[in-house]
Amino acid sequence: MELSLNNITKKYGDKKVVNNVTTTMTPGVYGLLGANGAGKTTLMRMMTAILEPTSGEILFDKENIMKMGAEYRSILGYLPQDFGYYPNSSAKDFLLYIATLKGIPSKVAKIKAQELLDTIGLSDVANKKIKTYSGGMKQRLGIAQALLNDPQILILDEPTAGLDPKERVKFRNLISSLAQNRIVILSTHIVSDVEAIADKVFLMKYGQFVSEGTIQDLIDEVQGHVWELAINPKEADTWEEKMTVANLRREGNCTILRIISEESPSESAICIPATLEDLYLYHFPMERSKQ
Amino acid sequence: MDLIKAEHKKLWSKKSVQVSVLLCFAYIIIFAGILQYQWFTFGSPKDETSIWGNHFDGYDNIRNHQKYAEQFGNLLTDSSFSDMVSNYQNLSESENDLSDWKVVNTWLQTMYPDLERSDTYKIMMQYVDTNQLTGLYDKRQKAIDDFLESFGTSEKETEYLMSMNNKVNTPFSYVWTEGWMTILGNLQDYGIMIAIVLVICLAPLFSGEWHNRTGAMILSMKNGWKKDAIAKIIVGFSFSAELFFIIAIPSVIVQLIYFGTSGFDMPIQCIKMIAVAPMNMLEAEIYEYAHAFMGIMGFAGLVMLISAFSKSEIASIIAGFALLFIPTIFSEYLPYQFQLFSDLFPLVGNSAIIFRTNTLNIFGKIVWMPYLQLLIPPLFGIISIPFTVKLWSKRLRI
Repeated sequence: MELSLNNITKKYGDKKVVNNVTTTMTPGVYGLLGANGAGKTTLMRMMTAILEPTSGEILFDKENIMKMGAEYRSILGYLPQDFGYYPNSSAKDFLLYIATLKGIPSKVAKIKAQELLDTIGLSDVANKKIKTYSGGMKQRLGIAQALLNDPQILILDEPTAGLDPKERVKFRNLISSLAQNRIVILSTHIVSDVEAIADKVFLMKYGQFVSEGTIQDLIDEVQGHVWELAINPKEADTWEEKMTVANLRREGNCTILRIISEESPSESAICIPATLEDLYLYHFPMERSKQ
Repeated sequence: MDLIKAEHKKLWSKKSVQVSVLLCFAYIIIFAGILQYQWFTFGSPKDETSIWGNHFDGYDNIRNHQKYAEQFGNLLTDSSFSDMVSNYQNLSESENDLSDWKVVNTWLQTMYPDLERSDTYKIMMQYVDTNQLTGLYDKRQKAIDDFLESFGTSEKETEYLMSMNNKVNTPFSYVWTEGWMTILGNLQDYGIMIAIVLVICLAPLFSGEWHNRTGAMILSMKNGWKKDAIAKIIVGFSFSAELFFIIAIPSVIVQLIYFGTSGFDMPIQCIKMIAVAPMNMLEAEIYEYAHAFMGIMGFAGLVMLISAFSKSEIASIIAGFALLFIPTIFSEYLPYQFQLFSDLFPLVGNSAIIFRTNTLNIFGKIVWMPYLQLLIPPLFGIISIPFTVKLWSKRLRI
């Protein structure tokens, strides 16, 4: 099983939202990391075949997904960024309705819906209206609908947005358990989400992949560019203005800065091991506040 | 089939659908049906200054009307017509409501305009000399001829209309007519009432998916493109038909309870003397129901097209209401020939057209408007289907 993106470009007017993206995916978890507006959602919608690329093609096992039509959609599970639901419907009715849209026979759908409700921990509230659910419960329901047809390709657009840390951990565990024999593509701007579960990460900026590889590959890319520096607390603001500061903490009378920089920021700075978050900040220096 | 069932269940499970259907049912069946018959139209008069002042005795009062009319036999002849008028003139004020005076007075005005006086406030029934009420059917024929002439009807059209009129059997059978006049009058509004509910229920059928933010998700599913669009359209039409029958069946039952079947074979000319269509009351009622049904189906198709076109529920509801009311309002200001064409738009034309003499010349062939008003409106719905499917399934493929 292979999903190939060949020189995918999407233009709206003169603006290139996705620009010449090429990659190949086989079963595993893929993290699509990028700031808001980087083109992640547009790329994912093209991968779901609901949006046509301006140029380039997306192939599933060497067949163009736009030409495959319903055949491709039958092996696809998709959780959109802004997961929509029918507020007055119960989770069970909602899943059964989605199952009919996925062409699953009603008897199979009933069994599958119950299994998934058990898996996502919503079986005890299955008959309650979705509008009474918390954000986390709704997102879990979103995952369940994406999994109803046992998809070979699972595309999750910002699945952890709006979840509290405990829900996010649950969610990551759920994704990990589902990753067997599937291509799972997960977009987020929260580094820790992909760091924990992704086999390969694409870093997206201005519609292009600026970096891609395993987590270790990407971390290696920024190795040697992460520094720790002890300073006088009064100088912290000055350092934050002139350098990309990933973190700062107080230690006794000093403030310890974690700085991302090509060069050593100071003679007293110590080079320390990098993390994926450092890579993110290396490419998106203005995004620290989101982490 | 599963998809159609699921869409059908989803549509009916909406609160807005349940409430609007219930209100429509309550208005047409309870208010404009039971209460109108029992109270404010056919209740015996108590306080003449208000329709709400009637007694709550419509059921018995209708039977009294029917019984009163029976005394004139079941045929409308010069003799029975004179009897009706003279009998009315001899009734006491408290009794004259029993007569069919509203209908009979229009006959006098139509056929004996030369006997109408302008120096009195009284209705013709009260003062006309019954000895002068002769040659009823000749007078009717003259009234039709005069009307067609004053209307500028061409020779060819006149010939066509007269050939219809020749099929009207005379003398007319006659029973109490006011009941049928009310029934057929009420039916003319059914289409509009049901259409209001259709706008509320069907305008969000496609656009509501964007309101609920489910559009992109649905489009990523196996049946999310054409199949779901087709299922939604089938459900839209089936819902329209269900709504129609939810209203029509109880309406007929209420009518049968209150009026029975008396007069079903009476010609529609008893309601409007210069009508030329050889139809009886039952046929007229069937026509009016069919007219409403066809209009509703055509309108439902157009509302679904609007729904697929819009991503906003509110915008599609507003557009649906505009589609319902604006053509009707504008058609009144159009030249006569354009008005006839605009009447072919779903729910613009009125089912009272069967009482009129309007025709359209289509490629040299004269066609009576009621036929066209039955056949053309559903075509709008049918033609809109492929556009609706295309719009929905291609909505995101920019």
